Amino acid sequence: MRLRQNWFPVVVLIAMAVGTAWALSFAALPPADFTFVNGTEVESLDPAIVTGQPEGRIINALFEGLTNWDPRDLHPTPGVAERWEISDDGRVYTFYLRESARWSDGTPVTADDFVYSWRRMLDPMTAARYAYQGWYIANGRKYTYGGTLLEPGDPVEIELADRPDGALPHARGRVLRGRLIEKIPLAGKDSAAQEAVDEHDVPPAPAMAYLVEIDGQQRLFQSTGELLEGAQRCEQVLLDFGQVGVKAIDDHTLRVTLENRTPYFLQLTGFYTLFPVNRRCLETHGAPNWTRPENLVSNGAFNLGFRRIRDRIRMVRSDTYWNRDAVQLNIVDALAVESDITAFNLYMTGAVDWIPNVPATVISTLIEQDRPDFQPAPAMTIYFYRLNTTRPPLDDPRVRRALALAINKEEICRRVTQAGEVPATSFVPPGLADYERAVGPEHNIAEARRLLAEAGFPNGQGFPRIDIMFNAVESHALIAQLIQSQWNDALGIRVATRQLEWGAYLNDQQHLKYWVGRAGWIGDYPDPNTFLDMFVTDGANNQTGWSNARYDELIQLSASEPDPQRRMAMLRKAEQILLDEMPIVPLYYYVSKDMVQPYVRGFYRNLQGVHPLDAISIDKAQREAFRSQARAL
Amino acid sequence: MIGFLLRRLVWLVLTLWVVFTATFWLMQAAPGGPLNSDRKFDPVVEQNLKRRFNLDKPPWEQYLIELGNVARGDLGYSTKMADFTVNQVIAEGFPVSAALGLLALVFAISAGLVAGIAAAVMRGRGVDVALMSAATVGIALPNFVIAGIMILLFVFIWPLFPAAGWGSASQLVLPGFCLGAPYAAYIARLTRTGMLDVLNQDYIRTARAKGLSLPAIIYRHALRGGLLPVVSYLGPAVTNILTGSLVVEQIFAIPGLGVHFVQAALQGDYPLAMGVTLFYTVLIYSLNTIVDIAYGVLDPRVRLA
Repeated sequence: MRLRQNWFPVVVLIAMAVGTAWALSFAALPPADFTFVNGTEVESLDPAIVTGQPEGRIINALFEGLTNWDPRDLHPTPGVAERWEISDDGRVYTFYLRESARWSDGTPVTADDFVYSWRRMLDPMTAARYAYQGWYIANGRKYTYGGTLLEPGDPVEIELADRPDGALPHARGRVLRGRLIEKIPLAGKDSAAQEAVDEHDVPPAPAMAYLVEIDGQQRLFQSTGELLEGAQRCEQVLLDFGQVGVKAIDDHTLRVTLENRTPYFLQLTGFYTLFPVNRRCLETHGAPNWTRPENLVSNGAFNLGFRRIRDRIRMVRSDTYWNRDAVQLNIVDALAVESDITAFNLYMTGAVDWIPNVPATVISTLIEQDRPDFQPAPAMTIYFYRLNTTRPPLDDPRVRRALALAINKEEICRRVTQAGEVPATSFVPPGLADYERAVGPEHNIAEARRLLAEAGFPNGQGFPRIDIMFNAVESHALIAQLIQSQWNDALGIRVATRQLEWGAYLNDQQHLKYWVGRAGWIGDYPDPNTFLDMFVTDGANNQTGWSNARYDELIQLSASEPDPQRRMAMLRKAEQILLDEMPIVPLYYYVSKDMVQPYVRGFYRNLQGVHPLDAISIDKAQREAFRSQARAL
Repeated sequence: MIGFLLRRLVWLVLTLWVVFTATFWLMQAAPGGPLNSDRKFDPVVEQNLKRRFNLDKPPWEQYLIELGNVARGDLGYSTKMADFTVNQVIAEGFPVSAALGLLALVFAISAGLVAGIAAAVMRGRGVDVALMSAATVGIALPNFVIAGIMILLFVFIWPLFPAAGWGSASQLVLPGFCLGAPYAAYIARLTRTGMLDVLNQDYIRTARAKGLSLPAIIYRHALRGGLLPVVSYLGPAVTNILTGSLVVEQIFAIPGLGVHFVQAALQGDYPLAMGVTLFYTVLIYSLNTIVDIAYGVLDPRVRLA
């Protein structure tokens, strides 16, 4: 009886003590030389499939492309390629790879590695969102499109459906090569799939059987549906990769043929989508297991140390990287911290050396203090509103212009964003070399009223109630409310605001279920085309319903225009059309909001917010002084 | 006892199926999905992505495929953290949440019990009033407010602890406290009420008349009866602490399951959202079963049925 009465508290006490000891037991971690906040957890370390900035920061440290970007002004510098030649028509690039480029397992980086990596990236099965980065290469697009663009007579490769059971995801089956004779549509096989897709999306390519001649024999292949008589099951039929403009001339020479002259191609080869991946690593471990720290073989300045999900990615200086002597940091930690406020706390307590963003609430204070470690700099990013040109009266350019003229952008930057953002007069942000931006309308209420009256709505009479849609972020809400009152005061029209969760917001925008929608765009490469090609008719990111034949023509012509100056002039003309027609209203150009501790060297504020870790170093003496000063406070 | 457990197991399977079905169709109904992005990609690329995630199939077919996979214990790959399987994410995140929750619980139980007993014994005096006021505040304040105050006090004004992160004992103090505080407050109030009830009983008066000292009376006689309400509260408290740590995890950048849960839902990461939901279902169900068994041990009047 006594025993029974007293064992319970004792057991609980022991359990609590053991539990506490377990919870508090941590293996000590060697401290990093450089720690930064990387925002959200990265989507993947596979260069072919990611799209974001946090991913870019890690992948740029782990891998290296043919070229690098100089952190000062982003001009391409030699990477794996030590030099290159460009043909006179600007379409053929010959890259000479440096002999000293090594994978982290010690093997040399060869031209074949690039051919393998680019084929994999373009393969529909890889489902690379940024596949279009490879479509500048001749026939790259046709390869990714699979059967859709194939025509009789095309050389094709057939990937057989003979992957063994339990094969690693995205392993390749056996590949046969031949010549396409005929595409035979399979009727009604895909009705179920047709049902499933959204009415606004492009329907999937109709199911086909492919008649191919291989070594003089005609064979029938099919990837979907019930097999026709004599047909063989395959995974997919693609254009023969030999037709795609990338060839390994020898181990250290890579010849790339482009679809069109692409003045920014050397920038693209420094972007992670075109980085090489290690074939043996991938084929041994399969995707995505090849990215695990114990498996990953990479060719950049750093190797992957370890990953703790939503905690940190640790990178360690590579001792096989060709330029290893120039790399100063030994251990780098990238922290996955979602909250800007938490990141800011970490920075202010000296726990991290760099945060790429600061909370909106502290910006005005930081600006007032004029801190040397917070110097917002122009970024290649634009904040703008889309106008749904399929909904009357927004189909009338005069109405759209009136709306744009009635917005006081200066007030937005002064009262809401506060970090020194610049009111936008153009869609393409400033700072791009050799490009003179087109000029859009300035703030002019009288003109706005006149245009609105001309369009049939004097003093806003008869104007329907429209709304401004945005995703749930406080600053978006404040801007929308400000514009709401500006429109109301200036034009006498009634405007509502509509706040949506991310998914709903994207959905409504893509399906044109909005009046006015908030948007932003980050340039992918330093060229106006990255902004302007969005608004071609039915462009995936147009999302305004706007269409202008002359605009489309200019964008298309500029792609193949050999003379750089004339090309820029064409793009400027296109931008002017965009700004005259106003399917979008540019509001302001973003600024970068990095905070960097004063003892960090080699950190340059550039247009694209690219900060290669191999350029960064720490002034240790200054750091010690800084820390002891902080302790004294 | 074995029959009881078996019955519970059958119900667990049924519960999981219902939760799976509800979660699946709710996610289908929600706008967006794993392919959400503010930039739209080429239609062919979108098709390839849909095929990769089986989204090109009709919903009922997706449902059956998913159900089959889940039944085999294969929760698939996270779509927003594509390098990891859902099982890996849970296996890495849950111990973190559990360690944090355990500390919070230990703090809540020890602080709550001590405060509750002290308040009961010194009923009506200043100590009682002070402790119970603190408890009321502790229950009323949401933990992000507590966290904000704690960070201000103990990170910036008096820099005792790191601002956030995971990897050392000192990083756990503030989040453990913030997570445990409301529970400590609640336990203190429960203990006080329970103890007061017992302290007024005849047998306590008898013990006192026998000349037993106060600590002896409390430990030998009062505690057992007085703690029953606390024990019955512990079951839900444990589940709430383990599943409710998301705010604290987010503020202190702790890589636990709570953050995964919220982010998965926000980012349309279907497999991860589903996996964590099912995992929480199993967890809550098991904890409830354990509490039911504990009742039977502590209070012979309760029979497992």
